[in-house]
Amino acid sequence: MLESANWVEKNFSETADAIFIFQDDQLLVSNQAAQTLQADYDLSTTYITELMQAVVKQQRTKTDDCFNCVVKGMAKTSVPLTLKSKDGQSFSFFVVYSELDHAKKVYSLTLKSEALMQRMDQLAQQRKLVQYVNRAHEEERKRLSQDLHDSIAQGVYSAIMGIRHLDPATSHTDDAAFNHQTKLIEKQLYETLQEVKGMALDIRPSVLDSFGLESALKALAKRLEENTGIAIMVVSHNADQLNLVEDVQTVLYRIAQESMTNAIKHASANEINLMLVAHDHRISLEIIDDGSGFDVQKHLSFNGHSLGLMNMNERVKALNGVFQINSKIGEGTTVKAEFPIA
Amino acid sequence: MGDEEIAKESVFNNLVQTIYHQEDFDFVSIALQEVTGLRKIRWRFAAGNTNERFRRIVLRSGIGIAGLVVRTGEPFIENDLEHHQYTDYISCPITMVEHLTNAVAIPILDSDQLVSGVLLAGYRNHQRVTVHSSHVLQEYLTHSNNS
Repeated sequence: MLESANWVEKNFSETADAIFIFQDDQLLVSNQAAQTLQADYDLSTTYITELMQAVVKQQRTKTDDCFNCVVKGMAKTSVPLTLKSKDGQSFSFFVVYSELDHAKKVYSLTLKSEALMQRMDQLAQQRKLVQYVNRAHEEERKRLSQDLHDSIAQGVYSAIMGIRHLDPATSHTDDAAFNHQTKLIEKQLYETLQEVKGMALDIRPSVLDSFGLESALKALAKRLEENTGIAIMVVSHNADQLNLVEDVQTVLYRIAQESMTNAIKHASANEINLMLVAHDHRISLEIIDDGSGFDVQKHLSFNGHSLGLMNMNERVKALNGVFQINSKIGEGTTVKAEFPIA
Repeated sequence: MGDEEIAKESVFNNLVQTIYHQEDFDFVSIALQEVTGLRKIRWRFAAGNTNERFRRIVLRSGIGIAGLVVRTGEPFIENDLEHHQYTDYISCPITMVEHLTNAVAIPILDSDQLVSGVLLAGYRNHQRVTVHSSHVLQEYLTHSNNS
C-alpha cells in the first residue's frame, strides 16, 4: 500500500501535465511541471482560478439550454488558455477542471499542452491514412478479382464450351455450322484478349515504363474517355524528352488517375483537361475539370471523407513536390502537382 | 464503306428514329461492332439523347448493359438502374450519360448469327420495362431486317 502510494505520488509530481490542487481558491499543492510552468510564464494562480471559476459557474447555471444534458455531466470542464513565456513566445494549453471534494471545496486544475494534443491528433490522422491506404489496396484487389472472374474467366470458359461443340464430324457434312462455330470462338477469344490488355493497363501501364509519362497519360485519357463518354484533352509542353525519376512519374500518373476519377464520379464533369508542362527546373501537372466543384477548406481539414486528397498530398510532399487544389462550388476543380527537376 | 454498308447504316438509323417516334421510350440507341481493326463496339445511332457523349463511349464485352448483351447474346431487362450495385461510369456508361432509370436491350445478329450490335431503349422516369418491351423491340428489328 505504502509502495503504491509512492508510485501515485511519483506520477503526480513527474507527469508532463501541470497539476494544481486548490482549496478555497488557495493553492494547496502543485507538481513539478506546474512549478516550472509558474516560473517560466510568470503565471499567477489567481488568474487561472478566477478564469476557471467563471467558466464553471457559467456551465453550472440551470438556465443553460442543456440543463438536463447527460453529456454535460460527463465531460470535464475545460478551457483553452494561451500563455506568453518570458522571451515572448506564446504557447497554447487546455485547462481541465475537476472537483475533488465538494464539501471542503477542493479541486484540481490540470494544464495540458496543446502542442502535445496536436501531435496526438496528427498521429491519429496518420493512422487513419494508413487504414485508408490499406483499404484502398484491398478494394483494388477485390475489383481485380471480380474482373478476372466476371470477364476473363467467363470468356475463357465460353471459348472452351465452344471448342467442345466443334464436332469434327460436322466439318465434313455441315460446313456452314462449323464455320459459324469457329467464328464464334474466335470472337470470344478476341474479346477476352482485349479485356486482359485493358486490365493490364488498369493495374500498371507498361507505357509508363517504356514510353514515358506523356504517352501514359494520353493512353489513360483515351481509355477513360471511351469508358465514360467524357471529353478528355491532354496538352503537354516540353514533356517528351524528360528523364523523370520513376517515383515522380508514378505519382504524377496516379494523381492524374485519381483526380480524373474524382471528376467523373463526384463532380459529374463534362470535360477534363490535363496539362503537363516542363519548365527549366520543375515539372507541373494540372487536371482541370468543369464539374460541380466543392468547398476545399471543408475537405482539406481532417474530416474522414477526404482521405484521397490527403493521400495525394502526402505522396507529393514525400517527393519534395507541391500539391494544390483550387475549387469552388459550381466552378469546377483544378488539381495541380509540381516537382523540382534537375 | 461500300454501298451495302451505307444501306445497312441507314436502315439502323431509320429503325432508331421509328421506334423513338412510335413508342414512348425516352431514349433509343443502336451500338455496332466495328468489323475491322480492334472490333470496338460503339453507340452509333441514337434518338432522344441529351448530349453527344454517347458517341465517345466504347463498350466492353461483358460489362454494362450492352456489354452483357454482346457477351451473352440474350436480351437484357433491368429496372431501377440508379439503385443498381454496378451503376457507375466504368460499368454502366450509357445509363449514366443519358440518366436512364429503366432499360431494355436486345442483340442484333449478323448473317452468321453472331452478335454484331445492340438495340437499346430506356426511360428516364418511373415507367418500367418488361419482357414485353423486349418483344416490341424484337418486332421492330425483325421487321427492319426483312424490309
